[in-house]
Amino acid sequence: MTSTSTLSRDEQVKALQKKDARRRRIPLLPALIFTIVVTQTPFVFSLYFGFLKWRGNTTAPREWIGFKNYTDAFQNMFFREAAWVSILMTVSAVLLSVIFGTLIALLLDRKFFGQGFVRTLIITPFLVMPVVAGLVWKNQMFSFNFGVINWVLNQVGIESREWVSEFPLWTIVIVLVWQWTPFMMLIMLAGLQGQSSSVLEAAKVDGASASATFFQITLPHLRPYLELGVLLGSIYLIQVYDHIFTITGGGPGSTNIPFFVNQRSFGAAFAYGSASAYSILVVIAAILIANFGLRVLSGLLEGEEA
Amino acid sequence: MAEVKYEAASRIYPGTTLAAVNKLDLDIADGELLVLVGPSGSGKSTALRMLAGLEFVDQGSIYINGKDVTLSPPQDRDIAMVFQNYALYPQMSVASNMAFALKQQGIPKAERMERVKEAAKILDLEPYLDRKPKNLSGGQRQRVAMGRAIVREPQVFLMDEPLSNLDAKLRVQTRTELVDLQARLGVTTVYVTHDQVEAMTMGHRVAVLDHGVLQQVDTPRRLYSHPANLFVAGFIGSPAMNLIEVDRQGDQLIVGAKPIPLPDDVASDLRASDSKRFVVGVRPEHLALAEDGSPSTVVVVEELGSDAFVHVEMPHEGGSTMVVVRVDGETSIERGHTLNFDVNGPVHIFDAKSGVRLGSDPSM
Ligand SMILES: Nc1ncnc2c1ncn2[C@@H]1O[C@H](COP(=O)(O)OP(=O)(O)OP(=O)(O)O)[C@@H](O)[C@H]1O
Ligand SMILES: [Mg+2]
Repeated sequence: MTSTSTLSRDEQVKALQKKDARRRRIPLLPALIFTIVVTQTPFVFSLYFGFLKWRGNTTAPREWIGFKNYTDAFQNMFFREAAWVSILMTVSAVLLSVIFGTLIALLLDRKFFGQGFVRTLIITPFLVMPVVAGLVWKNQMFSFNFGVINWVLNQVGIESREWVSEFPLWTIVIVLVWQWTPFMMLIMLAGLQGQSSSVLEAAKVDGASASATFFQITLPHLRPYLELGVLLGSIYLIQVYDHIFTITGGGPGSTNIPFFVNQRSFGAAFAYGSASAYSILVVIAAILIANFGLRVLSGLLEGEEA
Repeated sequence: MAEVKYEAASRIYPGTTLAAVNKLDLDIADGELLVLVGPSGSGKSTALRMLAGLEFVDQGSIYINGKDVTLSPPQDRDIAMVFQNYALYPQMSVASNMAFALKQQGIPKAERMERVKEAAKILDLEPYLDRKPKNLSGGQRQRVAMGRAIVREPQVFLMDEPLSNLDAKLRVQTRTELVDLQARLGVTTVYVTHDQVEAMTMGHRVAVLDHGVLQQVDTPRRLYSHPANLFVAGFIGSPAMNLIEVDRQGDQLIVGAKPIPLPDDVASDLRASDSKRFVVGVRPEHLALAEDGSPSTVVVVEELGSDAFVHVEMPHEGGSTMVVVRVDGETSIERGHTLNFDVNGPVHIFDAKSGVRLGSDPSM
């Protein structure tokens, strides 16, 4: 008796809440539709083009070919290589910049004379335009004849090398890390400053060494910040184009998918259909890589409990 | 188990000229519960943090168990601290929080868990061992902070206002539990509070600080009956001691109509002193209705049931002062009445300028 009456009361409450929710959301609908149109249209077009056979340099009509562009992609040796370069470039640049960013943030997270000035200095690489960064590194640092790196090595008796053509992928990764470390540093610094100082004091009193405090208390505290850094870093770095264009021009082993997509479409082949399909694959890859990164990170931090 | 000793220990924060703790001399016996009390900014937390090793000792030394720890880092002092905001490790479960210090000592996991369970049983925390601190109530968090300290079985417990975030009722209850726990464990404890009631009810001895200077260390009873100076007299006791400032009349102090009767040692100190103004201190319970007392006007009556506090305007040589009198709850007194009051208990006489108490040294 009582149970049925409470049940019906529960249902009533639920119905009321639902109605209330609907009433509050309906006025937001136009904004939602606008947002979807503006943000999703390009993606929907890419998706659609990805199913077409469409060559920009012929007059042949577009033709619906289903998943053929996608299956072709995986059979295309150049695409597979570009995919591998994308993964290598993104993962290593994100990981290295997160690690260096965290280390620098740890150094800067204390009071010292000229703190503000040093922080500003460290942030500058992030403010430099990618093309400029690429050119500066290529001509001032890596250059065979005039590069700083070779000059320094010559001083200690090591011979000059052609850095860019010998290590095309890694020279690009170095520049990416140089540009993205400050960004990661900023995120980590925000995280460190959000940590309660009395928690760190409690750890000291509890007899924890500096490294124990870092790995068992600070790092778990930084977890959401690390996740944010990895996520944003992956999304941006998988789309890198300018650096490749200026440093190696897509030379052997340094063409990632976006660069390859561009070559396929505007660069030479005018294969708009397959280029669209590849760009969809980049989006999927970005989601996969970011997810993978977050998984790995969670796994690492989860293991620290107890 | 350990004694603690502050020897002329001072802390002067960088960028300041006044010492936050000024030449503190304090001996704390093994197993003692010593309370540091004082108004806000008096240097209680600083003194405690100096003992913890979290604050640099600029002058003097600190000893734990006879060993000079002045320059040792907190890790080497074998002390446990309960922070005002508890400072629990937010990403760890209650059990991991409590086991953290043991883990640092390299104690094997099985033993760690055993000791955590034991402490959890004492503190009624068993059902919460797997929870994160953010999912606990304030009182439970306080107990976790206590648990984190007691699993370690340290030489000294340090507590900085550990009860100030609890509501009034829980605070009184936890206070009793804490005293009981400390007595059972027998660990030397330094407890900081700004609440003199907490200090009086908990401490074996109480050290009163003001502006970084130690005013008096004594048992709660002695502190109440023999305050060493005006500051302690005004700080300890609720409602506060009545302090009436008067000019001396020869070798007598007159409040109301009659001279205050003075014990011999006080009278001789008064004769020997060349000061002009003195403060007569009388606790509310040492004033009473008396036929031949001084007539005073009742301003406010605070009924507490068992007794009542009557605020009266008491005239004396050169003016009048508001004083509080404790009377039996049955007595019917109303605002506007004029009644006669007289001293019927001990009085405390202080030099108005130096604040020093007249009569024999209270620490003797
Ligand atoms: N980091 C610091 N730098 C400079 N001065 C400080 C610092 N910490 C405390 N002080 C000063 O030292 C004095 C004592 O501070 P302390 O925190 O020990 O007071 P307290 O007795 O614990 O007060 P409360 O009851 O408010 O906690 C205060 O005047 C305070 O302003
Ligand atoms: Mg304090």
